[in-house]
Amino acid sequence: MNIFLRELRANRRSTITWTVSLSTIVVVFMGLYPAFSADVDTTRELLAQFPEALRTALNLSLDNFFTIQGFFGYLLGFAVLAGGIQAMNLGTGIIAKEVSGKTADFLLSKPVTRSTVVTAKLAAALTILVITNVAFALVSYLAARAMASEPFSARTFLLLASTLFLVQLFFLALGSLFAVLLPKVKSVVSVSLPTVFAFYIVAAVGDVVANEDVRYITPFKFFESDYIIANNSLEGSSLALLAGFVVVAIAASYVIYNRKDVRAAA
Amino acid sequence: MYVIETTKLTKSYGTARGIVDVDMTVLEGEIYGFIGPNGAGKSTTIRTLLGLIHPTSGSATVFGKDITRFGPEIRQEVGYLPSEVFYYDDMRAIDLLKYSVSFYAKDGKAAEKRIRDLAEVFDLDLKKKIDDMSYGNKKKVGIIQGLAHQPRLIILDEPTGGLDPLIQQQFFHLLKEENVKGATILFSSHILGEVQRLCDRVAIIKDGSIIKVEQIKTLLENQTKRFKLELAGPPDPARFTIDGVSDLAVTNHSVSFLYRGHINAVTHLLSGLDLVDLLVEEPDLEEIFLHYYRKDAP
Repeated sequence: MNIFLRELRANRRSTITWTVSLSTIVVVFMGLYPAFSADVDTTRELLAQFPEALRTALNLSLDNFFTIQGFFGYLLGFAVLAGGIQAMNLGTGIIAKEVSGKTADFLLSKPVTRSTVVTAKLAAALTILVITNVAFALVSYLAARAMASEPFSARTFLLLASTLFLVQLFFLALGSLFAVLLPKVKSVVSVSLPTVFAFYIVAAVGDVVANEDVRYITPFKFFESDYIIANNSLEGSSLALLAGFVVVAIAASYVIYNRKDVRAAA
Repeated sequence: MYVIETTKLTKSYGTARGIVDVDMTVLEGEIYGFIGPNGAGKSTTIRTLLGLIHPTSGSATVFGKDITRFGPEIRQEVGYLPSEVFYYDDMRAIDLLKYSVSFYAKDGKAAEKRIRDLAEVFDLDLKKKIDDMSYGNKKKVGIIQGLAHQPRLIILDEPTGGLDPLIQQQFFHLLKEENVKGATILFSSHILGEVQRLCDRVAIIKDGSIIKVEQIKTLLENQTKRFKLELAGPPDPARFTIDGVSDLAVTNHSVSFLYRGHINAVTHLLSGLDLVDLLVEEPDLEEIFLHYYRKDAP
């Protein structure tokens, strides 16, 4: 419990920063919705003139873009990218920092098992993500309610919002795996940014070349807004894939962390 | 009962040697010195005992419990101070120390009182951020961190670096107090003088193996000194070949040698010489190893 609380405290500032930033972005973007929806036909015509490849690359779906959910779904893509970075930072940093900060000697010479350490740290990271997501979903929903011209399904909306959390789980697990695999993480951001962007680029390229299989490779394609809006549910196969990956990555993190030698800091 | 017992404890890092077949027994209530040059395997042994690294082969017990199976249980009763201390940047000394004692299933109030008492002894400002502290003060935080929970076994890995002589003296005094109260101490160092001042027994480790375990008394009787002489005239090397002299070097008017044995024999020899200057010093550990503790030496 002491490690858990210590981690929450140590990450307090970054949690507030991420939560406030994500919420602010969503409010600002939702504020633009009336401007787009006021003159749907003109905007649609304008967007229709964009080459189709560009529209796919921008992830613009003309069918949904002008509904409040479609609009939210569109901006969610960027929130998920940012949130992926937050989760990867958290997963990598929370575990790797004891070695990179040379405090592993202190922590691991205490009467705790390695598994307890990992559990406490991942629980803290998960709590932080839950806090971020509850705030994000709530702010998004209230902003949508304020801006929407017609009623919309709260369930669909929250399903959309939940994809932020689900993708973050992927990067949290991946981050913790990286943290135990890499001998020493000098800078968390230098690990997390390239990784998250690589997955994002794979998703974007997959869109442009219309390759369906990328949705099994990159979490950014696991959950598509259009599918959620049309079916009012999440893709089951993606959920299973995500769950499988998270379980394997976390289990591997435990095993590797338990076997790891903590060399003298010098 | 042995507080620490290792049996053929071996650790290799890939192909690199760590320690090889280390057999060591530390008795309850003793201050056990662990001495050897840098890179000899002192830290590797200690870190294996603490469960920070895993042995390649062999086994070890602390308080009679196997280190690979009962790590957390063992560490309940162990206080550890590494040679260099690193703590969390955002913490004040008191936060770190409270965090530290929160790991132990012991009376928190008593530990906190002890933190305050020790801080007083070492004149340490607990409200200061550790990041803003000098090296010596960080070390004091480390000492308090290692002792606050009143461990039965105190493991110190080259703990004196960065401590000024006065603090070092207080620290040694404190360790002796703990020892009188019943704590067993494992003290590693590469400075012979330190170990001589504090320890009852000493294990000498070199190239990953323990080459000798001696009572400090024996070590003192076999004290080695380095003599450096400046003479008025060219010396006759043959005069210096008495028992106990080794590593004799004669250049121009200078003579240098290591001597182990009764000091009178040397002073007697020196009295017959026309000296310009004389220097007698503690040889460094490397020299002692080189001349008396070579693996191939009888």
